[in-house]
Amino acid sequence: MKTSNSFSRRRFLRYGGSTASLAMLAQLTALQRTVSAAPAGGYRALVCVYLYGGNDAFNLIVPTSNAQYTTYATSRQGLAVPLAQLLPITPATSTGVNYGLHPSVPELQTLFGDQKLAIVANLGSLVAPLTKTEYESGAVERPPQLFSHSDQGDQWMIGGAVSQIQKIGWCGKVGENLASLNPGSVMSMNISLDGSNTMQMGATKAPYNLGANGPTELSGFWGSQGALRKQAFDALRNQAQTNKLSQGFADVMNESIAIEATISAALASGPTIMTPFPSSWLGEQLSMVARMISVQSAVGQTRQIFFVGKGGFDTHGNQNAEQPALYADISQCLGAFQAAMEELGSDADVTLFTASEFGRTLSSNAQGTDHGWGAHHLVLGGAVGGGDLYGTMPDLALDGPDDIGGGRMIPTTSVEQYAATLATWFGVAPGDLATLFPHIGNFASPTLGFV
Amino acid sequence: MTRGAGIGRVSPRFGVFVVALATLGACGGGGSGGASGGPSYVQGSDVPATDADAACFLTQSTFGPTHDDIDLLRFIGYAAWFDDQRAKSVSKERPYVNALDAAGKSLSQNHRMQIWWDNALTGDDQLRQRVAWALSQIFVISDQHSSLSGDVKGLCEYYDILARDAFGNYRKLLEDVTLSPQMGMYLNMLRNEKADPAYNIRPDENYAREILQLFSIGLVQLAVDGTPLLDGLGATIPTYDQSVVEGFAATFTGWTFADAKNWWDWEGSTKPMVNWPDYHETAAKVILNSVVVPAGQTGEQDLALALDTIFAHPNVGPFFSKLLIQRLVTSNPTPAYVGRVASVFDDDGTGERGDLFEVVKAILMDDEARNGHLTMPATFGKVKEPIVRQTQLWRALDAKAKSGKYKVYWPDYYFGQAPLRSPTVFNFYSSTFSPPGDLADNGLAAPELQIATHSLIALGTNEFYDLVFWGNSDNTNDDADTVEIDLKPLKPLAVDPTALVDELGLLLMAGDMSSAMHQVLVDHVAATPITDGGTQRVLEAVYLIVTSPEGAVQK
Repeated sequence: MKTSNSFSRRRFLRYGGSTASLAMLAQLTALQRTVSAAPAGGYRALVCVYLYGGNDAFNLIVPTSNAQYTTYATSRQGLAVPLAQLLPITPATSTGVNYGLHPSVPELQTLFGDQKLAIVANLGSLVAPLTKTEYESGAVERPPQLFSHSDQGDQWMIGGAVSQIQKIGWCGKVGENLASLNPGSVMSMNISLDGSNTMQMGATKAPYNLGANGPTELSGFWGSQGALRKQAFDALRNQAQTNKLSQGFADVMNESIAIEATISAALASGPTIMTPFPSSWLGEQLSMVARMISVQSAVGQTRQIFFVGKGGFDTHGNQNAEQPALYADISQCLGAFQAAMEELGSDADVTLFTASEFGRTLSSNAQGTDHGWGAHHLVLGGAVGGGDLYGTMPDLALDGPDDIGGGRMIPTTSVEQYAATLATWFGVAPGDLATLFPHIGNFASPTLGFV
Repeated sequence: MTRGAGIGRVSPRFGVFVVALATLGACGGGGSGGASGGPSYVQGSDVPATDADAACFLTQSTFGPTHDDIDLLRFIGYAAWFDDQRAKSVSKERPYVNALDAAGKSLSQNHRMQIWWDNALTGDDQLRQRVAWALSQIFVISDQHSSLSGDVKGLCEYYDILARDAFGNYRKLLEDVTLSPQMGMYLNMLRNEKADPAYNIRPDENYAREILQLFSIGLVQLAVDGTPLLDGLGATIPTYDQSVVEGFAATFTGWTFADAKNWWDWEGSTKPMVNWPDYHETAAKVILNSVVVPAGQTGEQDLALALDTIFAHPNVGPFFSKLLIQRLVTSNPTPAYVGRVASVFDDDGTGERGDLFEVVKAILMDDEARNGHLTMPATFGKVKEPIVRQTQLWRALDAKAKSGKYKVYWPDYYFGQAPLRSPTVFNFYSSTFSPPGDLADNGLAAPELQIATHSLIALGTNEFYDLVFWGNSDNTNDDADTVEIDLKPLKPLAVDPTALVDELGLLLMAGDMSSAMHQVLVDHVAATPITDGGTQRVLEAVYLIVTSPEGAVQK
C-alpha cells in the first residue's frame, strides 16, 4: 500500500538536508552544544561500535502508526516484528508517525526516554543526494561497488563514497587533524579494541591495538640471563631492515613495547568501575574502553577515539533466531557503557556511535536478508541531543520511492554528514570538514546536529 | 647477506637414499639410488645449488624445511620433487575424526585442530598440505559460524576436499566447494529456494556474490598480469553488477543436504548437496557477461553452466594466481610474474585450463620466486603467517610430545589465525592490506601485518617464548602433551656459536640472515654460559631468531 504524505521524505525532517534554514539551525545547535558541553582543553572521546556484516536496522527501529506499520509488515512478511511486541518511544520532534524499538532492547528504550540516545535515520554511503529516478538513470553518480561488504565497509570507514588503494579512515584523519591536542603522545589518538580497521588508519599512523584485557608485556626478560636476552632482542628489533616487510614488523613490535608500560601503569592506578558489563566480546571491549577513559589523565591524551566491534550481523540465514540475541547484546552493552560513563562523571565528554557497512533488504530470502544500503544508527552520550530522530525516515514500501529493488533503501542521509557531525563535536574546525570528507559539499547541511 | 651452509648429519627418514647419495657422490653421479624397502630416487639435474637455495624453496612450498627434505631435493631436483609430491597419498582429516567418532568420543573442534597440526607437521604430502592451507584462506569457511561450530566432521571433510583437489583442476575444485554442504551453510546456498513473490521472498544472494568477489574473478576487470583494466576516463571497470548477482542467486536455487527427507530437514550430511526441483528456479536467468541460463533446465544443468561461465572468465587466471602467489611466495609479485603464472592457468601447455598442479609449479619455479630475494631484497617476500612460523620451528627441530599428539587448540587467541577459523569470509587479512608509512608510501601490500597488531605481536612473541623455553626436550617439568623441540642435534654445536647460528639460520631463515643480525646472535650465544651441555645457548638462539623482524619474514 501507499504511504501517507506525512511519511514522505520531504515532510519528515530534522536538520536532515534540504532546506538552508534548518541546516543553519543545525550548525548553530551543534555549536551551542560544543560550547556548553566541554570547555576548550577538556577531554573528549569518540567510541565507534562497528556492527560487522551489515545490521538489519529496519527491525531495530520500526514505525508503529497504523499505515506505516502495515507497509513495514507487508514488505517484511515473516521477518516483521509483531506490533504488540515493539517497545514504544516518543521522539521529541513529532512527525506524526510513532515508532517502537525491537523487544530485545529495553535498555535502549530507557536511554532514548532519558534523552541520552539519538537515532539517525537511513544512513549510507552516497556521493550526493540521490533519488530513485537519478539512481536508475545514472544522472547522479553512485558509490562504487554497492552491496559488497569490503567496499561498503571501507566507504563507511573512509567517510566517503570512494575507492582507495591506500585506505585512510575518517577517524585516522581526525586523529592527524587534531594531533596537536595530544602533544608528545607516542600512541595514536586512535585505539582499537578489535584489531585492524580502516576507520582508524591514518596517512602516517595506524591505530594502537589494545587487548580487551589490556596491553601485553613481553615475558621472559627476568634475571641476569633474561636481561642479557633483552639486550639482544632489543638490538635485533632496532636494527635498520633492508626488507621493508621486516621493517614493518619491527615498527609494530617497537610501538607495542614503547606504549605497553605507560598503559599498564595507568590502568593499574585507575579506579574500580562498579558498573557491571555483559560478559560478551562487545561487553569486554567496552569495559576496557571505560577503564581507559577512567585513566585518561594518566595516559596523557585529551582526545581519544576508540573502536570496538561485534560480528554476526550478516544475517542471510536464520535471522529471526539470531537477531534478538544480537540486539540484546548491543542494548545491554550500551546501557552498561552509559552507566559507567555516568559513574565516572565522563558522560558529557564521551560520545558513542554505531557504524555498519550497510543495511539489509526489507524482502526476505526465506531464511534471512541480503545486502542492502541505507540503515538507521545510534548515537549515545551526555552531549547527544537524545530522545529524538534525526534525518529522514525512508518509505518502507517495496518498489516505493526509496527502494531500488528487493527493499534496498536509498540512504536519505550520507555517512559523511554523520561522521562530520561527530568530528565537529570532537573538535575539527568546520572549515576542515571538506578536506576530511570528499563529498560533504554535495549535501545541503554538512552536519546533522545530533551532538 | 650470508647464506650459511648446512652441516652434515645422518638422515633418519631417507636413510636409504642418503646412503645412495654418498655412494653416488663418490662415483660421480648417475644411476638410481635406493634399496629394497625404501623409496627409490634417481639423481636429478635440476638440483638447488646450495642447502640454502633448497631451504628457500621448501620454506615457500612446505610447512618448513627439514634437513631430510633439503637433502632429498638436492638429490632428485625440482621436477622430480614435484612429481614425488603429487604421487604421495593425501593426508586427510576425516579418517582421524571418524575413528574417534566410532570409538564413542564426543567430537570437538579440538580434534580437528589436532589432526590439522599432525598433517601439517608430519604429512609427507607437504606441498599438497601447504597448498590446501592456502586454498582454505581463499575458499573460506569458518567454525566461527553458528551452523559450523559443532560440525567437526563437516569441516574436516571440507579441508579434505581442498587437499584432494589441490593438484586437480580449478573447475572441479570450484564445483566441489560449491556443493559442499558446509559451504552451503556458511554462505547460505543450502536450502536457497526460488522466489515466492506472494511473501516477498527472493533467492539468497550470499553465495552468488562471494563466489564472484572472492573465489574466482574479483570486483574489477583485470589484464592477464593482474593489473586492473581501465575505461576511457581512467576508472576501473566492474566485473558484474547487482543484476548479475541476482541472476546467479536464482541459478543457485534448490540445493540441500543429500539424504534429506524433507526440504526443511537439517540432516547434517557431509556429502555433496543435491537439487530438489520443486525449489529450483526454472525461469531463464542472465548471469556473467550476459550469458543466459535457459528456462526449463534442471538445477544440475544450471549449476554446470554457471560454473562454466565463471571458469571461462579471463579474470580467473590472474585473480586466483595472484592470491595463491601471495599465500606461498611474496606479497607483492610483479605484474610480469602474475602474468606468467596466469598464462599457465589459462593453458598448462597441453591445452588444459585451470590445471592447479601446473599453476603451483609455475608459482614456485618462477625466476621471481627462486631469485626475488636477490633481485628485489627490499620488497620481495612475505611476512610469515604466524601459524606457519610455528610449523617451521616445529618441523625444523622435529618437535613431538611424549603423547604423540599436537594439542594446539586456540592459536587464534595469540596469533589471530587458525585453520578454518576466520572471523569472516574475507579471511584473516586482506590481500591488499598496507600499513601506513614506508609500505603504504611505496604501494606495498603486507597482508599478514593486518594480524600483527600491537596486541597480537606481543601475545605471539610470548607464545614463541613458551614454545621454546618450555616446549623443549630438556624440560623435565612438562607434561606428556607438551610438544618439545628436539635439542639433541643442536647442543653439540653450542660450543661454536657461529656454527649454531648458521645451522638455525639455514632451517628457520633459509640461510638469508643479515650480517648485522648474525653478529648479534653470535655475540649473545657466546655470552651465554655453557654449563648445561649447551641447552641454554640453543634456546637463546632459537627464540631470538623466531621473534626477530628478519626471522618473521620469508624471503
